[in-house]
Amino acid sequence: MTLDINIGKVIKNAYRITSTRGLTALRVRIPGGHLETKYLDILKKIADDFGNGTLHMTTRQGFEIPGIDLKRIPEINQRIGPVIQGIEIDTAGIDISEPEAGYPAAGTRNIASCIGGRVCPFANCDTTDLAFKIEKKVYPNNFHVKIAVTGCPNDCIKGHLHDFGIIGLCEPVYDYSRCIGCGACSNNCRAVATGALILKNGKIRRDERRCIGCGECVLQCPTAAWTRNPMKFYKMVIMGRTGKKNPRIARPFLIWVNESVVMDVLTNTYQYIDKYINKSLPKEHVGYIVDRTGYPTFRDFVLDGVKLNPEAKLSQHINWGGYENASYLFIK
Amino acid sequence: MGKSVSTTEFNEMLKTLAGEYRIFAPKRFVHHGKCTGTDLIRYGEVHSLDEIEYKAKSNFSLKEILHPINQTIFYFTETEFSEPATENKGIVIFARPCDINGVFRLDNIFLHNGDEEDYYYKKPRDKVRFVMMECTVGFENCFCVSMDTNKSDDYHMAVRFGGEEYLLDIRDQFFIDVLEGVGEDIEFTPDFIKRNRVEVRLPEIDRMPPAMYDHEMWDEYSTRCIACGRCTTTCITCSCFTTTDIANEDNPKQGERRRTWASCHIEGFTDMAGGHGFRKKNGEKMRFKTLHKIYDYNRRFGKGPMCVGCGRCDDACPVYISFSNCINKVTSYV
Amino acid sequence: MNNPYLPKPYHILEIFHESETEFTFKLERDYEINFGQFLQVSLPRIGEAPISVSDFGEGWLEMTIRAVGNLTKDIFKLTAGDKMFVRGPYGNGFDMSEYIGKHLVIAAGGTGLAPVRSMINHIYRDEGVVEKLDLLFGFKNPSSIIFNRDIEKWKEKFDTMLTLDEACGLDGVCEGLITNYVKDVRLSEFEKMAVIVIGPPVMMKYTAGEFVERGVPEEKIWVSFERNMSCALGKCGHCKIDETYVCLEGPVFNYSKAVKLID
Repeated sequence: MTLDINIGKVIKNAYRITSTRGLTALRVRIPGGHLETKYLDILKKIADDFGNGTLHMTTRQGFEIPGIDLKRIPEINQRIGPVIQGIEIDTAGIDISEPEAGYPAAGTRNIASCIGGRVCPFANCDTTDLAFKIEKKVYPNNFHVKIAVTGCPNDCIKGHLHDFGIIGLCEPVYDYSRCIGCGACSNNCRAVATGALILKNGKIRRDERRCIGCGECVLQCPTAAWTRNPMKFYKMVIMGRTGKKNPRIARPFLIWVNESVVMDVLTNTYQYIDKYINKSLPKEHVGYIVDRTGYPTFRDFVLDGVKLNPEAKLSQHINWGGYENASYLFIK
Repeated sequence: MGKSVSTTEFNEMLKTLAGEYRIFAPKRFVHHGKCTGTDLIRYGEVHSLDEIEYKAKSNFSLKEILHPINQTIFYFTETEFSEPATENKGIVIFARPCDINGVFRLDNIFLHNGDEEDYYYKKPRDKVRFVMMECTVGFENCFCVSMDTNKSDDYHMAVRFGGEEYLLDIRDQFFIDVLEGVGEDIEFTPDFIKRNRVEVRLPEIDRMPPAMYDHEMWDEYSTRCIACGRCTTTCITCSCFTTTDIANEDNPKQGERRRTWASCHIEGFTDMAGGHGFRKKNGEKMRFKTLHKIYDYNRRFGKGPMCVGCGRCDDACPVYISFSNCINKVTSYV
Repeated sequence: MNNPYLPKPYHILEIFHESETEFTFKLERDYEINFGQFLQVSLPRIGEAPISVSDFGEGWLEMTIRAVGNLTKDIFKLTAGDKMFVRGPYGNGFDMSEYIGKHLVIAAGGTGLAPVRSMINHIYRDEGVVEKLDLLFGFKNPSSIIFNRDIEKWKEKFDTMLTLDEACGLDGVCEGLITNYVKDVRLSEFEKMAVIVIGPPVMMKYTAGEFVERGVPEEKIWVSFERNMSCALGKCGHCKIDETYVCLEGPVFNYSKAVKLID
């Protein structure tokens, strides 16, 4: 029987149209890219029983199960149900009424994150935990938004190529009476970060305007003169993207904000999209909406009603710069 | 004499002490640790039992109470020198046996090395009363038994934590008076740890063979040690310091002379005016520290090794150099 | 309680320019002192450093200071009548009894001459003290020669050899490292002689080595060490070598001990 399917529904169900007619692939969400191995058994079984016996690790840290017959979607949805139940409902705490009907949306992509504080000594936060919290805020949703969480300004997850890059920061707290002026922090800051620390008269001066909150000084200090402020802070860089149309790196929007500001901004972003999206298009990526409305409109909308913590700093203007593909740029 | 006291009674005692004593104990600073979500445990002033971290080893030793990380030794106004005001209160320190033994090592350097006693160390030292925290299990990297520092008799009171009641062995009239009529009289003497997971053998020699000084084992440390100094800042017995003068930035006619912890593992320790220094290789720094801890000190004072086997150096080393293993290597080579 | 860290102010009586970078400061003195000892000298708000005494007499002493660090640069701004802060003296100094009646050879390199100058001057004034004194001095170049006026004076009484690392063409001045000229030093019966070698660490090592090579027993050679020091009281640890504290047991060491000290 000839296939006659509503591809809109298929795509929203997290399956995609593939290069081989009749075959699809299922995208499995793994918030933070960290999962219990029991889920791998389920994915393996689906790939063996319905796909071609392979799994693809996506750039966004999910799994894609290729080579699936489009006709078998309902059966596969039954089989992926426990994964949705375990990860999305039980762990992230999302209310999904029918997990056995498959993923309820695919627009907002998997929340990617670096391995974070559970493993990496440089991380300033538990990125997996934050990825799950964000997942709960933003999923399921059909709007096309890409969010990544990274533990420190090294940005290993490349949040700067996402609509929202959320970067864990450490506010270093200096105990003058514990500092021995060994220069370990200032030498290292100059070598690997921004040179925000200056050693003078055996003590350190921190230039707050230069400090990017990487926390390297805390790691280097042999006397615990530098410690972490136990409050967690974040930097939000926004509207970075790859893509055919005007790729660009994200720029700082907010810095030294707390978790609740991050969450509120993300929540408000969906209302912003809802208000400003060009509904005549099949889909519109949030970054292009901000291109149309301008940064100030975005900024004022998503910060409306958000209580910024006292340490927070907000970008007044953003100049993303651009990317040129024009042929005249090439000399050969 | 032995006593069993309740939490309330113990806290009452601390309250009474607080009038004339500053009380120091290991404290947990939640989420102040090196990596996110980790805690820092170091000595600090406490006022009640719940502030005392008795279950874990502190990252830093108690030496910072008696030998502060930074200490102003003089204030200057024009050409006048004045000494900072002295704290009049006494000092009560909750300490494990290894650290109490460590303080007696510090005493040798500060009070018995050379003809002069160290003026700034002696002042607080004379006011110390030790409350020994019974330590029977030890922690990762401890090797106190090998260093014979698992025991101490030099305490004014000992305490066993962990039960419903606090068991006390009181040796000092001061504490007997403070606790008069409090709690229940019992038989109690503290236990000591009898075996650590780490065991260390010290070289049994009269004279370190000269060949040991340029043994190739030190070359390996040159490739591994990063000379960060953590092994020395966390060490209870490392006592070195540097003195610097600081001029007030706003009014350079005023200033202070300050004493700050220094370390043979940190660059510049031996540098003289003009730049000449010694032990440039990190392996040489390791050799210097190791022999100081297990040989030189004993040669000088004849009181056993300087190292007390608290293992904090091994806890702290970011590049996983084990000092206990280094001692064993030296012993096996001599 | 007496605070041994508390320095006392002393007036500068006179300042002599030895070279562009080396000045001698003459200070009041009201304490006992021995040849080769050192003082902890400070300027409040600038810093404190060990400086060896280069001469002394009734109620005065001299220190010859090279402008190499922050403190010494500021000391160079002082003028006669200003005060310097001093505590000490520290260290053992030279034990004169080891040299009385002996044939003494002093080999000094650069500013290493400062700590032995007082002893040479003492022997100059009181000739009978040693049987014979021979001097061998090495400097980098003509402008680094210090105590020129003393050397000229000493030449009258003592067999004095001066060598410069760099060629200079000056009359009566040799060319090359001091170590090259140890072979030209007169030796006596070893029982009746003593050698003092003093200067930068490398110079001392090789010069003393040359004397040992010529058969001088290590026990007959003395050296004086220079080390970073903060306290000079055996506490700060900077000058420790093995179980020895240079501030307490030094800076003067018999070479038989010094040769075994490994930094």
